[in-house]
Amino acid sequence: MTAQDVASRIQKKLQELGIAWRSQTVDTFKAGAPETTVKAIATSGMATFDVLRRAVAAGRNFVITHEPTFYNHQDQTTELEADPTYQAKQRYIKENGLVIFRFHDHAHALQPDPLVMGSARMLGWTAYASPTEPRIYVLPPTTLRELAVDVAARLKGRAIRMAGDPEMKVTRVALGPGYGVPALTPSFDVAVGGETAESGGNAEYILDAAADGQKKGMILLGHMMSEDWGMKEVADWVRPLVPEVTVEWLPAGEPFGNPR
Amino acid sequence: MEDFHSSRREFIVSATAAFLAVRPVHRQRGALTAQQIVDRLRSAIGVEWRAQSADGFKAGDPGTVVTGIATTVMATTDVLRGAAASGQNFIVTQEPLFYMPNEEPGNRAKDPVYLAKKALIDERRLVVFRLSEHWNARQPSEPVKALAAALKWTSEVPGAAQTYRIPDTTLEGLVAQIRSRLPIRGGLRMVGQPSLRVRTVCIAPGTTSLAMAVANLQRADVILAGEPREWEAVPYTLDTWSSERGKGLIAIGRMVSEGPGMTACAAWLRTVVPEVHVESIAVADPYWSVNV
Repeated sequence: MTAQDVASRIQKKLQELGIAWRSQTVDTFKAGAPETTVKAIATSGMATFDVLRRAVAAGRNFVITHEPTFYNHQDQTTELEADPTYQAKQRYIKENGLVIFRFHDHAHALQPDPLVMGSARMLGWTAYASPTEPRIYVLPPTTLRELAVDVAARLKGRAIRMAGDPEMKVTRVALGPGYGVPALTPSFDVAVGGETAESGGNAEYILDAAADGQKKGMILLGHMMSEDWGMKEVADWVRPLVPEVTVEWLPAGEPFGNPR
Repeated sequence: MEDFHSSRREFIVSATAAFLAVRPVHRQRGALTAQQIVDRLRSAIGVEWRAQSADGFKAGDPGTVVTGIATTVMATTDVLRGAAASGQNFIVTQEPLFYMPNEEPGNRAKDPVYLAKKALIDERRLVVFRLSEHWNARQPSEPVKALAAALKWTSEVPGAAQTYRIPDTTLEGLVAQIRSRLPIRGGLRMVGQPSLRVRTVCIAPGTTSLAMAVANLQRADVILAGEPREWEAVPYTLDTWSSERGKGLIAIGRMVSEGPGMTACAAWLRTVVPEVHVESIAVADPYWSVNV
């Protein structure tokens, strides 16, 4: 089975689920030859250089990544051609016969969104999902500080950031992975997600709400701490489509702190 | 020139509020309107004013006579109240006022937090002007110079824009130095091995693009970033370790990274409009952490 065959099976499955393959999408082959015979598949939140090394060590030559390989959403490489890190990564991909495919837009189109589900499962929130409001979780009453401590312990995150009064009461949280941190509204207490622009958004809203005596909060897990787990769900989803090969999740991990 | 510029709409909205205003606006000899101050700053800034720009009036009446100016990174409700309480009715902000880059409230049009902020501006007859692109475009970079000064770094590397030679340290040591010199709480994050030897740092406040990281980490050991995207400069820096040329990135957040720049902006405005009192109002690091 080739990497292209795997991609075709993913497309066929999506079609069966009523999700048409988009003509404009970042979900394309990013490196390597699609006609390469697949030995085994690794899914990951991001095809970092470190993930590629671990994939090779584990005998996986096809990497399905949620986020870019070459540090920008469109994986444009023109500006990177002279960069030694980019060159080393491309050389490594070539020397080890790796193939990299991005699965981003269509992964988010699945119902439920595996990227949300992966984080909800890691956070222990699946039982609290609102039956009527997407992405809302109604947690047993807690405080933002207690919630933050619990979240950091479950995810083992070193660079999780909170905004808002630590002692505020929390029950209703909205979860949006990656850059899709839900915009705070009066209808929930805390937004939880990956990363977001600091200006013109939740941080400002939290400060302004506090000035009016309203308590609002945010927990920024970091992009990988919010989507890496979702690619484990994607591995589980891809596995039955390609019973001929092993499919395993290789977490990219948190980039902050001491790199491997 | 109008002495008291008050539109009919404003009058209706703030007829009661005018009673509550902290101090009445008295026309003084030589007093300037917000528009006149902006005209002066536009001609003094040394950067051609762009036809399409995020910079401009965001709230209030440009014809308002200015009683004082407050510069800030972000015109939060607290900043607006603080400015009004100390007699500054003209706020010059680096970042947007209403939660979205285009200032359109969108889904928040009926949100109480948005409405309360708008009401505060109307009641206190404040004027808010965004000064971001043009301030940042001044050469040499004002936000970079100001952040370097706040960190007590003075030795620029010749030929390497925005890059400073600092006394030999490690990435870990640099983090400790930054913590001791900037008002940062939980917003500091680091990419790279703590033991990395550091001699040169490139200062890149605000959004720190991939291009900025790629170009500057050719020379500098570390890039001091504001708000790098976690699919751009962050994984790029991480990957430098696998390509065995390990570099460091320290992100301190957008507001903390731009704070010194807006204090410098206040100092500059004093030279542009010496007859007007100018202050800067700091916004604290909004983040906290359970790990620190």
